[in-house]
Amino acid sequence: MTRNSLQAYFDPFKEISIAPLIVFRIIFGALMFFGIARFMYHGWVEQLYIEPTFFFTYLGFDWVKPLEGNAMYIPFVLMLTAALGIMLGAFYRYSASVFFLCFTYIELLDKSNYLNHYYFVSLISFLLIWLPANRRFSVDIHLFPTIARQTMFQWQSGIIKFQLAVVYIFAGIAKVNWDWLMDAQPLKIWLQAHHNLPIVGGLLQEEWVAYLFSWTGCFYDLFIVFFLLSNRFRPFAYFFVIFFHLVTWYLFPIGVFPWVMIFSTLIFFSISFHERILYWLERGKRRSTIDAPLVQPRKFVRTFLLVYVMIQLLVPLRSIMYRGDLFWNEEGFRFSWRVMLMHKEGHATFYLYDPKTNRELEIDNSDFLSPTQEDQMATQPDMIIQYANHLKEHYDGRVLEFGDYKFPIFNPEIHAEIYVSLNGRPSQLFVSKRIDLTSQPYNLCHREWLEPFKQ
Amino acid sequence: MTFLKRFPIFILLATVTMASSCKDPHQVTPFDKESLLLNFSDNLIQPALASFQSSVNQLNADYLSFQANPTSQNLETVRTSWKNAYLAWETVKCFDFGPIKTSGFKAATGTYPTDTAKIESNIAAGTYTLASASNIDAIGLHALDFFFYRENALSYFTGNAGYSNYAAAVIAKVKSETDAVVVAWAAYAPTFKASTGTETTSGFSELVNEFNRDYETAKNAKLGVPIGRQSLGIQMPEYIEVRNSGFSLQLLHQNMKILQLYYNGNASASGNTGVGFDDYLIHLERESLHTTINANFDEILAKIESFSGTLEEEMATNPQGLDELYNLIQSQVISLKTDMTSSFGVLITYQDNDGD
Repeated sequence: MTRNSLQAYFDPFKEISIAPLIVFRIIFGALMFFGIARFMYHGWVEQLYIEPTFFFTYLGFDWVKPLEGNAMYIPFVLMLTAALGIMLGAFYRYSASVFFLCFTYIELLDKSNYLNHYYFVSLISFLLIWLPANRRFSVDIHLFPTIARQTMFQWQSGIIKFQLAVVYIFAGIAKVNWDWLMDAQPLKIWLQAHHNLPIVGGLLQEEWVAYLFSWTGCFYDLFIVFFLLSNRFRPFAYFFVIFFHLVTWYLFPIGVFPWVMIFSTLIFFSISFHERILYWLERGKRRSTIDAPLVQPRKFVRTFLLVYVMIQLLVPLRSIMYRGDLFWNEEGFRFSWRVMLMHKEGHATFYLYDPKTNRELEIDNSDFLSPTQEDQMATQPDMIIQYANHLKEHYDGRVLEFGDYKFPIFNPEIHAEIYVSLNGRPSQLFVSKRIDLTSQPYNLCHREWLEPFKQ
Repeated sequence: MTFLKRFPIFILLATVTMASSCKDPHQVTPFDKESLLLNFSDNLIQPALASFQSSVNQLNADYLSFQANPTSQNLETVRTSWKNAYLAWETVKCFDFGPIKTSGFKAATGTYPTDTAKIESNIAAGTYTLASASNIDAIGLHALDFFFYRENALSYFTGNAGYSNYAAAVIAKVKSETDAVVVAWAAYAPTFKASTGTETTSGFSELVNEFNRDYETAKNAKLGVPIGRQSLGIQMPEYIEVRNSGFSLQLLHQNMKILQLYYNGNASASGNTGVGFDDYLIHLERESLHTTINANFDEILAKIESFSGTLEEEMATNPQGLDELYNLIQSQVISLKTDMTSSFGVLITYQDNDGD
């Protein structure tokens, strides 16, 4: 490429056909509608947001609270409507805003439900608010014909490509670690469990297959975006996208997200590809001849893009500022595209300790947490602190009565003995019982109270 | 660009290697979860249910003759058959999934502590619906501990027809619940045997998860709660299982013994051939974990056998010994729930999710 063509390639304000963005909007809206409907159908609203009595909030977002009882369905119904609105391009900016706000609200309620893909959906729906994805083949152009447009600025689809590239490449970088490449873990554990599958089941027991999957997965994540960007390799690369995500869909319980990735990556396809889809959808009907002028405060947009890109590049890298083993300590682990990366299982026994009487009480976690919450908490240090603080709050000032005895509890300590097994290693002590967890800070600093990881 | 050009060839090669290796004679034999499920269904679960059913029938028959002729000798016979039924119940309660779960069998037959005041008021009222949810702690095998072992037990049966009819109704309910579950399991067995996946709803996952859950329930309900582990060290004798008859330590022993047998895939200590969790761990080259788990079970059982009194007596005279037992049982939770379960690649949560 010459310098000029390179400049054009990356020029955010180059004018191109709006078709890819329109197709993306339709697909994203449809998938979200399906995903939310599926979520409700499975009873997860009840299970994850109505039944629990305690929620693991995010640091700085502790004010985000669930709605009372069945009112919790309101944001989900709103999201269904908004997803339809996005798909049809109806009151598009409102739809996209409502979807983003509701979805992010739900995700902020409880980090035990954190998934990288939910974070991805939050980001994409945020971006969609600012993109002109309703300017063609939409309800809006029927209602407001003057907004119709045939072109957009290149950044308006480029930012979505960038976001997808971030997801894949950081997922790939995360896989460059000893366990993944040298021990083929956790894939060895996950694949052996599938021996019962027809035809491939026996093959999945083979050690070399776990290595092949690990290495291929790593290469796939690292390089697939570059192949998708290349005109020459795109069809071939897309075949791999489909293959890769179907395999993960088949082997692992990852719900709707293989489909999100399979369809989202269509945005890498050529303009003419998207034009053909739209032409087919419009059934050759004469397009609007109106072409709203393409003007934008370029300086503002450039700043916005720069800030967004910097955040997306820096946030996944923040883990390098922490000491100790990343998988063990999980400091800077979330929001970093570490997808299906480790197999961590823990068992946590919590104790209420009353310093006044020198007595202790073993806590039944199921009295306070749902099975999912307990499972997630047992291996994630920030959640361990949150739970300990919740327990202290629950017992502090309470009078416990056992038989004829009464114990006024004041300022109790909360201790925990936690064992964790990481990527198939024998379990080892994660949190020692001598630590009073309520005396430990809940912040983003390195957590000194965790037992060090022994290989 | 050479790499780009060669990439398709690399993939092609990889695919060919993958395909051709199917014929590789030196393949690893995969562990066969289906044979494990088959063993559990045919040799462990269904025989356990059948023997529980026959012990309940025996209890029912013995009770009916006792009811017709309430002598102290006949009471002893009923007590023995009740104990046998209770011990047999310990062999089925860890299979709380499939039809056992959906029918609410465990709660209807084994809820404790029993609300004796509720029983008395039911009898006084003369009419009661034992199937109603509010009566869940006034029915089941555990309620019979109160009937058969309270002080002057015999005099209540001879003096009050309402009283002896209530016990008869409790036994009849246990019997009908059991009969229904036996039939339902036979129908469910083929589904179970084929359900080898790793998803939370698969038969194998449920088996592993309920195994763990039963172990933890035994730890807490049968021992931890009475000895005061959840009450700042204050002993709670009113939470002792079958407190009147005083054979709760035997029940704990039976529970642990059965879980060890099931872990090894065996129906009895003599047979050592059944496919169980042990074989799966050995297949996964976790021999040392396997040895630890069996050694822990042995140590726990030996410790229980070392007690001469009832749980209530030991609580009064030997609380330290019970603490040691509790700690032994506690340390095994980590081997089972964390190490064993994570090597199986089974999801420990009971909920399905959207994945990662």
